[in-house]
Amino acid sequence: MAVSYWRERDRYYRILGSKCQNCSAEFFPPLYRCRKCGSDKLSDHEMPQEGQILAYTLLRDPMTGFEDHDPMPIALIELNNGVRIVAQLADTPIDQITVGSKVRAVFRRVRVNGPNGQIFYGYKFAIKNEKVNLTR
Amino acid sequence: MKRVIIAGAGLTKVGDHWNKSILDLAVDAATAALKDAGIATPDQIIIGNMFSGFSSSQESLGAMAADALRLWGVPAFKVESSGASGSMALHVADSLVKSGQANSALVIGVEKMRDLEPSEAARATSLGESSEYVQFFGISQTALGALITQLYMQEYEVTRDELSCFPVIAHKNAVTSEHAQFRKAVSIADVSRSMPVSDPLRLLDCAPVGDGAAAVVLSNDDGMVKDPAIEIAASAASTDSANFYQRDDMLEFMATRRAVTKALSLAGISVRDIDFAEINDSYSAVAGLSVEALGLSKMGEGARDARDGKFDIKGKVPISTYGGLKGRGNPVGATGIYQIVEAYHQLVGKAKANQVVDAKIGLTHNMGGIDSAAVVHILRRIS
Ligand SMILES: [Zn+2]
Repeated sequence: MAVSYWRERDRYYRILGSKCQNCSAEFFPPLYRCRKCGSDKLSDHEMPQEGQILAYTLLRDPMTGFEDHDPMPIALIELNNGVRIVAQLADTPIDQITVGSKVRAVFRRVRVNGPNGQIFYGYKFAIKNEKVNLTR
Repeated sequence: MKRVIIAGAGLTKVGDHWNKSILDLAVDAATAALKDAGIATPDQIIIGNMFSGFSSSQESLGAMAADALRLWGVPAFKVESSGASGSMALHVADSLVKSGQANSALVIGVEKMRDLEPSEAARATSLGESSEYVQFFGISQTALGALITQLYMQEYEVTRDELSCFPVIAHKNAVTSEHAQFRKAVSIADVSRSMPVSDPLRLLDCAPVGDGAAAVVLSNDDGMVKDPAIEIAASAASTDSANFYQRDDMLEFMATRRAVTKALSLAGISVRDIDFAEINDSYSAVAGLSVEALGLSKMGEGARDARDGKFDIKGKVPISTYGGLKGRGNPVGATGIYQIVEAYHQLVGKAKANQVVDAKIGLTHNMGGIDSAAVVHILRRIS
């Protein structure tokens, strides 16, 4: 995972996706062919940092490496450019998560590879106007 | 093109096989199917399996199975297509036997899941989702199933209790299904109040984790035709955006819709001719979205049709007649072949307490991911 993580760092740190040079459609994750017009002329393009929740869940059946995230709040978010993304929610009391909530991207620790291993970081989303809790 | 018939079938019970390896399970099902078919040496072996490398540190299942069955010389390989691995293996076998490239084929679906810890089983079943953008963040297939469930309930105002009707049907049929993992009836309240797994999904919305193997033997030899004989009238596969949330309409299973449209056309029938359907009821809402994409319900009406009895064993279009993924169990790569064996037993009239009266045409529907890949088969009784 260490090498693939390095390769993806701009995607994880800046939510760097794609923009079609032909029809201006935007995408995340980045892709090879425009989903709208089929063009392969795509350039890197940063996604907006804000959006709103379309659906959410509290995952109580965590995968290996995420056992300390129980429950893990996860949301389907529509960013302000219309691109949809599925991401973890952070800094947000569970009872404040609702469909339609406005969220903004935050930079957070995603997982740690064992007690002495590499630490992986990436985007998560927080409900806007909530006090930022830097502990997670 | 030759007519492809199912010459024989075999399966193991789904559940905990603590004393059996993945190869043991595959050999059990294959041996039963070859014996049933009366074929000692098939021309081809194809295995449907999703994650033997992950769960059992075992790949090369094709050569392993050929060796274990003492069928050296027979070409053999594995087909992987996430949750649709079993039916995709059959899809490939059908085309080889139909074309005459092989005159017979043994197709084995197998998965070993119960050796895995729960958190590892969650990883295994999520391996078909994006490694970089889904798995990396700890997002499992169950979480994606939960998100589409919430969208489905919101969009069509489906109630919690309406959704619960799918597991109720599955479990009711599983009670008399000898190879099912959970032979216990559940009520709407049992499902609606079961433990939350990933809200709004509850434990009884989700297909369980289990070991299992099922096998069929295909033949294009008209001399093999029994009475009644069961033909593969159509085999069709399709795909859609890997991530459901990148689709224009997140609540339309286009891979399934494309596959069923093609399958019906190949079989020369309409959806009204289907006597029963083995559907991919991996989560309650996925069952609803599936019957809708298959054309068995109008969009948004699947759960209410389930509530109104349309899909009961004596209803208009029975589904999950041996318990489906929910009640029979979902040994992932084997599931597509379990569906075929079950449909075969229905059509030859050997389904006992689970028999759909006068079943002549059966449909099976199997998917990988959240409809990233879909395979539809239509089986028909000829005599
Ligand atoms: Zn474009």
